[in-house]
Amino acid sequence: MAPDVYILGGFQTDFARNWAREKKHISAMIREVYEGSIAVTKIEPKDIRAAFVGNFAAELYCMQAHLGAFFVELDPVFKGLPTCRYEAACASGGVAALSAMAHIQAGVYDVIAVIGVEQMKTVDAVRGGDFLGIAAWYERECAGVEFPFPKLFGRLGDEYDRRFGVKAEHLARIAEINYSNARRNPNAQTRDWYMSFDHACGAGQYNPAIVGRIKATDCSQITDGAAIVYLASEKFAAEYARRCGISLDKLPRILGWGHTTAPVEFAAKIQDSQSDPYVLPWTRKAITDAMKRAGLDSCWQLSAIETHDCFTTSEYMAIDHFGLTEPGKSWQAIEQGVIEIGGKLPINPSGGLIGCGHPIGATGVRQLLDAYKQLTGTAGDYQVAGAKCVATLNIGGSATTNVVFIAGI
Amino acid sequence: MNKEIKTVAVLGASGTIGSLTGGILAQNGVQVYFLSRSREGSQKGLNRAVKQARSEVVARFITCGDYESLFEKACGQADWILECVTEDMAVKKQMYEKVDAVRRPDSIVSSTTSSLPLEELPKGRSESFCANFLSTHFYNPPARMLACELTGQTKTDPAVVNFMHEFLEKKLRRVVIPVKPAAAFAGNRVAFLLFACITELVERFGVEMMDYLIGPYTGRLMAPLATIDLVGLDIHKAIIQNLKNYTQDAMYDKLVVPAYIEKMLAAGRLGNKTRNNGGFYKKLESGQFLYYDSASGDYIQGYGPHIQFVERARNLIHLGRYNEAFQEILNAAGTEAEIVREILATYIAYSYMLIGEVTDEKYGIEGIDRVMAAGFHWACPSLLVNMLGGNERAAELIQSAGLAVPRALRTDTTWKKYYFNAGKYFIAG
Repeated sequence: MAPDVYILGGFQTDFARNWAREKKHISAMIREVYEGSIAVTKIEPKDIRAAFVGNFAAELYCMQAHLGAFFVELDPVFKGLPTCRYEAACASGGVAALSAMAHIQAGVYDVIAVIGVEQMKTVDAVRGGDFLGIAAWYERECAGVEFPFPKLFGRLGDEYDRRFGVKAEHLARIAEINYSNARRNPNAQTRDWYMSFDHACGAGQYNPAIVGRIKATDCSQITDGAAIVYLASEKFAAEYARRCGISLDKLPRILGWGHTTAPVEFAAKIQDSQSDPYVLPWTRKAITDAMKRAGLDSCWQLSAIETHDCFTTSEYMAIDHFGLTEPGKSWQAIEQGVIEIGGKLPINPSGGLIGCGHPIGATGVRQLLDAYKQLTGTAGDYQVAGAKCVATLNIGGSATTNVVFIAGI
Repeated sequence: MNKEIKTVAVLGASGTIGSLTGGILAQNGVQVYFLSRSREGSQKGLNRAVKQARSEVVARFITCGDYESLFEKACGQADWILECVTEDMAVKKQMYEKVDAVRRPDSIVSSTTSSLPLEELPKGRSESFCANFLSTHFYNPPARMLACELTGQTKTDPAVVNFMHEFLEKKLRRVVIPVKPAAAFAGNRVAFLLFACITELVERFGVEMMDYLIGPYTGRLMAPLATIDLVGLDIHKAIIQNLKNYTQDAMYDKLVVPAYIEKMLAAGRLGNKTRNNGGFYKKLESGQFLYYDSASGDYIQGYGPHIQFVERARNLIHLGRYNEAFQEILNAAGTEAEIVREILATYIAYSYMLIGEVTDEKYGIEGIDRVMAAGFHWACPSLLVNMLGGNERAAELIQSAGLAVPRALRTDTTWKKYYFNAGKYFIAG
């Protein structure tokens, strides 16, 4: 059995900020999220043994690569520290955390800072949409397409519709719930935005159709933001718990994980899944792998899920893929209020990518941080009462890379 | 006492603050009557509310009308009558008389004024009007500036103030700052004194240089003279005059309206609202900005000031090294650096000095902190104390500027906390 890996907390920036308007370099975001995390966790900088940075495309958005190296700029004590940047499209943060977990399990390092960071508001929506296209098979799926990802995830909705039927009002309700949860989250990008079910159902000047069934309210946000969590070995976590005056069993652990990669092209994924009850079987496998490793028999043993709602269709997919309903019946969980805060299994109490925001490379880390907050009772107004076990699903591309964590106390 | 607000009548809904605040109410599911002198004016307000929400759905919660046709019904039904009419005592008093004739005895009546004496406004009105009358001072634009200063007058039932505090905070998501009914309350009292100081320095250093020196890198979204252009020079003068009439403190002599501003006003140079005439800035069709020259009264080309310590501080802010940026400001030599330090010192000293006068002593600096952050998007006074290295360093700075160090600053420990996401107040430009 692999050694335990603990989550010692972390920090996220206010996702409502526009760092280009603040005229900041991306390293300023890394600095702020790091300094915030030290203030919150009280981890001694000298104890950090490595830093892994998840980032999707700073080369394009900011003309800056090699982000791991910027961790060394934060404090003279970090000179010589091993650092690395990880990239797996929108799952960049997730794979950075997976790698950190594996390094700790292998006994290579005791404490690793896992940062996710993305600055996206440096370019306009069309150019940014084109950049996002490199997360798919650009040449085949995105070249010359104005908003490739809404199109791809619109096709996910189309496939559900073809197999099972999908109603627009269920997708609208997903958007409404995420915005509503975001209003409880002081770091959520949309916390002060207007949203209602009627607005999400409507179409017009302020909720235009982007492509196909995907309207503006079905989309996650263009976000600048960073998140950081510290992962640690049991040895260090025990010492840390002693120093903080808490018992080790109050610190969240990673109970299980799943990591799969599907064919890059969306059409190939759908082709492969024709005989499978699940529309995205590789996403389903990452979930079931994580559940198995965590020793869970059923999704109902989870207290909450932070899922990758890059579009309402991807949350619709997550509902049945996590097993809240039979395949194709996600609408039941929506109608019955299962996924709301206070429901049987809340999804995205943070507001998710639609409400909290989606700084691409930061999302997987932000999800893990929110799992930590739920498990330690520090999620404030979006706390799920008594949370003991929280799952995260972070996907890259059109559900190409799938990373799932299950954390618990 | 009224326990629920389901319906609100906004008086002066054709104006910016009336329509946008009414829009915030509609966004939160409250039925709102938009009233103004004409239905068309109210409709314009509704359009503004829709644009603010970026949703046509909010229009379903808004009913437009004029003072003739809808006043009695709207004010008779409303749980809260929100008055946002022009800042004129006579106009407001006349409006209150009409309201008093048709309102329910338990309805709440509030004014958005922060400048007119609150005691005077409800004089002559019924007992229930006075008991339910208070000020709810919203900031503009309310979708982004969440501050709302709240205060009653002598006859206001404290339960009404408490009820509104909770409603504003919980239902409308405002950052509520309980203030004392002193002229301009907390936010405008502090900010406009700073603006007055800066307008006076324009005569020595010019518009471009002053906005460069006290630019966003010093902890604000927008440079100060550009902010006055946005507010309007006429409003600026009115607020300064109001402060001169109704306040008396150690900084009173700094409340000046320089002669060149009087000339600007006479020439109709009010700022953004008189775009063709200009204000401190004049935008050409090409997009280029010219700067008002206080000596000649003409507009002149910019020269792009470049001062080493400012550039170094801005670069440090670009990299997220905020405390180091302020050390640059503290340690720089030269007249320009002294000017920046003097303005920062005035801001901090005046804010701490006003504790107990504009906000209750029990809030310490936090009341003023909250209004400067949520009403102006300025780095709040205690954050600047933190940036400067603590209250002893801030006290030294204040003394160097020839100002008295407020007692509250010497004993304050607020600045010791960690200010999460404070970087958003410092713009590297």
